[in-house]
Amino acid sequence: MKTEVVGSRALREDSWGKVFGQTKFPADVNLPNQIYGVVVRSPHPHARILNINSEEAMKLEGVAVVLTANDVPHNSHGVLFRDQPVIADYVRMVGDPVAVVGGETMEIAREAAERIRVDYEILPAIFDPEEAMKPEVPPLHPELQSTNVLYHLPIRRGSMEEGWAKADVVVEQVYKTQHVDHAFLQPEAVLAYLDERGHMVVQTATQYAHYDRGEIAHALGFRYSQVQVKTLAVGGAFGGREDISLQIIAALLALKTQRPVKMENTREESFYSHSKRHPMTMYYKTGAAKDGKLVAMQAKIIGDAGAYSSWSINVLRKSAVHATGPYEIPNVEIDSFAVFTNNPYTGAMRGFGAAQTVLAYESQMDLLAKKLGISPLEIRLRNCFQVGSITATGQELTSSVPLDQCLAKIAPYFRREVETP
Amino acid sequence: MMVIECIVNDKKYVLEVDPQERLLDVLRNHLGLLGTKEGCGEGECGACTVILDGKTVNSCLVLAGQAHNSVITTIEGVGNRQSPHPVQKAFVEVGAVQCGFCTPGMVLSAKNLLDKNPHPSDEEIGVALSGNLCRCTGYDKILRAVKLAAEEGK
Amino acid sequence: MKKRGIGLGCAWYGTGYGNGFPDVSSAFVEIHDDGSATVLTGAVDVGQGSNSIFAQIAAEELGLRAEDICVNTADTDVTPDSGTSAATRQTYNTGNAVLKAVRQAKSRLLIYAAREFSCPTPEGIELKSGYIGVKGDPSRRMILGDMVFKARLNGERLISAESSTARSTPVDLTTGQGAPYWPYSFGCQAAEVEVDTETGKVKVLKVIAVHDVGKALNPTQVEGQIAGGVTQGIGYALLEELELQKGMIKNPAFSSYLIPTALDVPKIEAYFVEEAEESGPYGAKGLGEPAMLPTVAAVINAIDDAVGVRITSLPATPEKILQALAEKKEELG
Repeated sequence: MKTEVVGSRALREDSWGKVFGQTKFPADVNLPNQIYGVVVRSPHPHARILNINSEEAMKLEGVAVVLTANDVPHNSHGVLFRDQPVIADYVRMVGDPVAVVGGETMEIAREAAERIRVDYEILPAIFDPEEAMKPEVPPLHPELQSTNVLYHLPIRRGSMEEGWAKADVVVEQVYKTQHVDHAFLQPEAVLAYLDERGHMVVQTATQYAHYDRGEIAHALGFRYSQVQVKTLAVGGAFGGREDISLQIIAALLALKTQRPVKMENTREESFYSHSKRHPMTMYYKTGAAKDGKLVAMQAKIIGDAGAYSSWSINVLRKSAVHATGPYEIPNVEIDSFAVFTNNPYTGAMRGFGAAQTVLAYESQMDLLAKKLGISPLEIRLRNCFQVGSITATGQELTSSVPLDQCLAKIAPYFRREVETP
Repeated sequence: MMVIECIVNDKKYVLEVDPQERLLDVLRNHLGLLGTKEGCGEGECGACTVILDGKTVNSCLVLAGQAHNSVITTIEGVGNRQSPHPVQKAFVEVGAVQCGFCTPGMVLSAKNLLDKNPHPSDEEIGVALSGNLCRCTGYDKILRAVKLAAEEGK
Repeated sequence: MKKRGIGLGCAWYGTGYGNGFPDVSSAFVEIHDDGSATVLTGAVDVGQGSNSIFAQIAAEELGLRAEDICVNTADTDVTPDSGTSAATRQTYNTGNAVLKAVRQAKSRLLIYAAREFSCPTPEGIELKSGYIGVKGDPSRRMILGDMVFKARLNGERLISAESSTARSTPVDLTTGQGAPYWPYSFGCQAAEVEVDTETGKVKVLKVIAVHDVGKALNPTQVEGQIAGGVTQGIGYALLEELELQKGMIKNPAFSSYLIPTALDVPKIEAYFVEEAEESGPYGAKGLGEPAMLPTVAAVINAIDDAVGVRITSLPATPEKILQALAEKKEELG
């Protein structure tokens, strides 16, 4: 189809405001008479809160309010399950919010936050997902699962026995990936206030305003129609603005004080108030026949969900579905697991479970090519998906599968010798 | 409290400030110049870059007292819609802007480079921008934009 | 000694929420009396540029320029829910919703104009370069705004609300069989690296990235997504790691949690392949996430090509590379 505007290098309208510094990010909006909110976060990975003493904080001039778990009408939020407290009375990770201070200035609020004394009953914590998944380990979320295994997806296709019988070369290897932060440049910030209609208005940077609205309404006991989430310019997201960070807390402060509330994370607070990329351990065994065709693959993928479920089920599902790479393999056995630990919770991040497995399946391809004595390009060309290919989940790829065209475009770079310096 | 005098974007100010206040807060809170962004508060990300006496600085690391008697340029002092600076024009045309949070600092670092060195090499552009983090663009279009701005200045 | 190597990485990515979860985007459109138009949708532009893509789609359908379209998004008092800006779904899914909504809003105008021009069917009417007229007959055309104004005076209302839902079915929980995502995006990248065998440091010199986009709705933005993805991929492969000690983050700062700077990025050559995805707007599919996937593999495979060691845990730090080199030396004895 011939198009004129679509397919053109049309300029982005928003880029002008951004180059002149006019664009408003959430830290750039304020209201008269606003107070500043600061969160007190747990230094312990697993603990029960016995008592919170805010007397010393309240003595400080200019402290408007201190809120704890008891002040939240419906104390939960979460993208798949509402298993995450707005303000915790039971801590599952370092950084869980345990109290919130509202003060006349940011400095006062920060000083008051330091004066809050929290008594914790420290509980045993677990950080290794492979330990945590053992049935005898007490579950972190008994309301969701009787063990720490939040999710297990098996994928079965063909016959492993037949597959291994056909394999002339086999490569077996364990791969590991790390916790990663989104490191978007703009730290979380919120302006929340009750407007002249009595509606709760929350101005923030989010990936999904309508989701935020639902979670704020749920926690505060508002109707959706009485909560307005207005998205200001978003300073990068990459998955890190999927879950709620400060939105509900700011709205709660505004509700309790009937004043506009401004909250702004420092970079350090930002690291503690959004999810992380799942670290994964991936046990891979892949076999190929002499002709370079993949014949069997077995993979066990264990992802660290951390303290809350967030998107972990979807992430580990995506890992499993993509575990073969873009290649036809007739005999496949994949098991992926999402496991709760007391590490920072993990959730969405660009690549979403498929960014980890690519390390494993593409390393396997190079190792197999070496064993077979063919080039890395050749082994991929012999196995890559095409229209009509069937994936490990039995899905037929019915259109637009141009990986072979992509490889053809890149092939010249592999035909020349690498320059030596 | 102390009184400081400084020139910001060609305008003279006499300000009463807490000497321990950061220049970043003076610009944002006293002068309402919100184009200067705070990304890390420790001089690592460059989102709060301003030009102070001809040098780019992280305004989160400069104390208000240190800005006394200085000449400062913030993003609000560089170009406008009627007459954008060549760097700003190039950023828009090349597509060097995505989320835009790093953009003001990037533009100032690039402008200051070209003011001093109108025809920088690729290496010099990279070095000049290495104190400004960007998480969206992969720097590719930003580097191209600065190069284009330099070429158009020829 | 500095040694160079080249590595290849391929990847695929199923876009959308997946697994049968209702993946719906919605859009409202109004065509104004002067022919310009407003698009309202819940989709957040997180910096990737979705607002511009929606403006281009609406402009294309109305024969206007992108700047003639007002795109207002992500205000829950004003805009309909369009799902999250994640899962590489906004260009594809909300793009489809916007396309359907614009076509719906202009459908009454086409009928009206067909009558005005005595054209037998609305299909014979086209909107092009600010005009509305009969296809192939330059003598029968009118400025778009004039026709809209006329139509509205005659009681026509050019507004619409439309939704688009992506295709997906849940996987079986015992066998994993099902069609969880649609469409899938593909891509491959080549990385050329230089490894310093004394220090273990890896420098990525060049990345060639070729991605399948169905149709590039805006090539500048495609290149921007690719370069951004490649750079995040390099950070993931070589630099970034949250250090945890009993659940405590030891490096919650940009001085200790290192992301790539302008000096860490290689020359990036971005190419795309356009094989239309029939279900996408103008054949387009998403690119945001896929752009970073092959980089990790290409870099790790290039390290092996350069110095003959296989790094199996990320990030490939100088320490890990030196250790692997030492082990290899020992093996060779």
